[in-house]
Amino acid sequence: MPLIHDLTTGKKFAAEHGVTLLKALLAEDIYVDNACNGRGTCGKCKVYIEGVGEVLSCEYKVNSDITVKTGKKPNNDMNILSKVYVSDFIGEYRKGYGIICDIGTTTVAVGLVNLATGEIMVDAAAMNAQRVFGQDVLTRITYEIENGEEGIKLLQNTVMDCIRECVKKCCTDAGIDEEEIVEYVIAANCTMTHMALGVDARSIGVAPYKPVFTEGQERKARSLGLPGAQEASVYFIPQVSGYIGGDIVAGAYCCEMADKKGISLFIDIGTNGEIVLSNKGSMVSCSCAAGPALEGMNIECGMPALAGAIEEVCADEGDIKTKAIGNTDAVGICGSGILDTLSVLIKEEIIKKTGAFKKPEECGLYEKRVIKDDSGVRLMLTDKVYMSQKDVRQVQLAKGAILSGIRALLNREGVKPADIDEVLIAGQFGAHLREEALIVTGIIPAECAGKIRYVGNTSKTGAYMALMSEVVRSNMELLAKKISYFELAEVENYEMLLVSSMSFKG
Amino acid sequence: MSKEELFAKIKDAVIEMDDETVESLCNEAIAENFDATEVIREGLIKGMDRVGELYATGEYFLPEVLTASFALNAGVDILKPYMKKEVSTKPVKIVIGVVEGDTHDIGKNLVKIMCESAGFEVIDLGRDVPINEFVDVAEKENADFILMSTLMTTTMPGMKAVVDELTARGIRDKYKVMIGGGPISQKFCDEIGADAYTVDAASCVKKIKEIVGI
Repeated sequence: MPLIHDLTTGKKFAAEHGVTLLKALLAEDIYVDNACNGRGTCGKCKVYIEGVGEVLSCEYKVNSDITVKTGKKPNNDMNILSKVYVSDFIGEYRKGYGIICDIGTTTVAVGLVNLATGEIMVDAAAMNAQRVFGQDVLTRITYEIENGEEGIKLLQNTVMDCIRECVKKCCTDAGIDEEEIVEYVIAANCTMTHMALGVDARSIGVAPYKPVFTEGQERKARSLGLPGAQEASVYFIPQVSGYIGGDIVAGAYCCEMADKKGISLFIDIGTNGEIVLSNKGSMVSCSCAAGPALEGMNIECGMPALAGAIEEVCADEGDIKTKAIGNTDAVGICGSGILDTLSVLIKEEIIKKTGAFKKPEECGLYEKRVIKDDSGVRLMLTDKVYMSQKDVRQVQLAKGAILSGIRALLNREGVKPADIDEVLIAGQFGAHLREEALIVTGIIPAECAGKIRYVGNTSKTGAYMALMSEVVRSNMELLAKKISYFELAEVENYEMLLVSSMSFKG
Repeated sequence: MSKEELFAKIKDAVIEMDDETVESLCNEAIAENFDATEVIREGLIKGMDRVGELYATGEYFLPEVLTASFALNAGVDILKPYMKKEVSTKPVKIVIGVVEGDTHDIGKNLVKIMCESAGFEVIDLGRDVPINEFVDVAEKENADFILMSTLMTTTMPGMKAVVDELTARGIRDKYKVMIGGGPISQKFCDEIGADAYTVDAASCVKKIKEIVGI
């Protein structure tokens, strides 16, 4: 059997002849970014092999002894949003401790609550370790399709391990015993809820995208392998549909969407953008496939929000300034930087309203920054980091998807963008976006300028409220039933709506 | 205006996505008694070919391709009644659809538009298409190509199922199977034994032309 020596971890091990390098490395628990789960499409699993060069590890078959250099495992210093904002809320105070948890597809955020005072004592967060089975929910559902019951079990264990670790850290930090935990409340998207419960999520991955359940779920903590008192219980917030999950119900609840006197939009921007429109308390929702471009995926210089990622870009009179996370040299660009760059391209008229780059000589003061050669046209942000025409097209797809979702909801209710009273942005990604970038790029209609408010991790906030009050829980069950849902793809003439939502009207 | 000048203007009007100019130029072509089939081939389709090239380089995007195809269709509508019935060659016949379990059809629609613009006959099965329907319709219509797309990784196995069904019925060699969509790659194409994968609509048309040798 061929031997593999990984210089990064120092591990030396034998691999089966002909197995892909990716499989061999993952089997040894060596970290490889594996967003598409070995399909050869994401280009993220690159590994350096001595004497060979960089290869996609999912495509390289191990046939002889090799020395490799794998990438560094991203540590959890990613700025995971876990702050909770709750205004004048009175809970049911009682003995013991509770855990609130938001399971996101990318991150898991946990908080430990003193039930006697309602105080959130400590927080902990981690990357969702399911990432090795794919970056988005669909790729993970595909893992279930390919691996059946065994896959479902493995996905459950993986995410439960993350939660257990966070809970352990919280208890240590707060100086309490795990046995003192009497209750958990978990908010998550529909797929994550299914996977955490070990319930088959496969039906969510194919039309008509029906989940096995939508109601809130209650289990014994012990039955899920979570620490706590003998009788400690776990409550999962109810769902609306396969793509409007408990995280959105929690968000709509703490933003009081059912009590609005005017017209409010609630938006969680991510790979799937979820939108809820409240028209004087009557609520309708949809989910749009924005894709991962806004998170730096499928973008040539794209990367997650880690050290070295450009997170801010501004331009003035031909001069472009960038700010990278950690104040180090820029090595790539993350979501907020991507939107900023797009704003610059639009405002400085380097691209046309259609999204096409102008010729370098038409770009005035930016002429030297715009490079056109055989590989296409791009704007150089630094010597190395750029945004290309193809990148602009990827972001345009995401922007078009979200804006078309907003417009479909408005059309359905017969209201105009100017009628919107407020736009509430929730979630991890929204925290880093500036209102100006959202308006200039046209993700949010221009009429909403000055009406956008960032509401934080409302999934976790909702979990907190449900932990502190039985009444809140039953109200959430009602809310989940009250929010109606429709498939964007079923909207008449959706294609034209999407296409017209792609241009930068300026 | 000479024939060549008029064709060049029609071509430009399609590239400029200007349906009104396309219409008036096509009416002019009819008034001049130019051959309608030639106007389509040398004017409209040449224009759409260029649109495909611009799409491939990123200069044009979905909205432009769609709008250009409207301009092209406006021209075809005017010219169609004047086309002589051609008895000669059978056009390339394509069965296209989004595989079972997936309802995302915008990419498929784009491929359909580009194929029709290239003069191929396209039978569109829509989205969420059962495995057998691809094969049954291809057989019934005596098609040359089966084109499948999906945006979701979950529904990719449906593409393999269609290839396997063709093999099981002993008719695999009768059809060229081509696949595309966000999560699809050449690697997957090789794994399931499809004939070709293309990254976008423009290269799909190019590949078809290459396969049939036109």
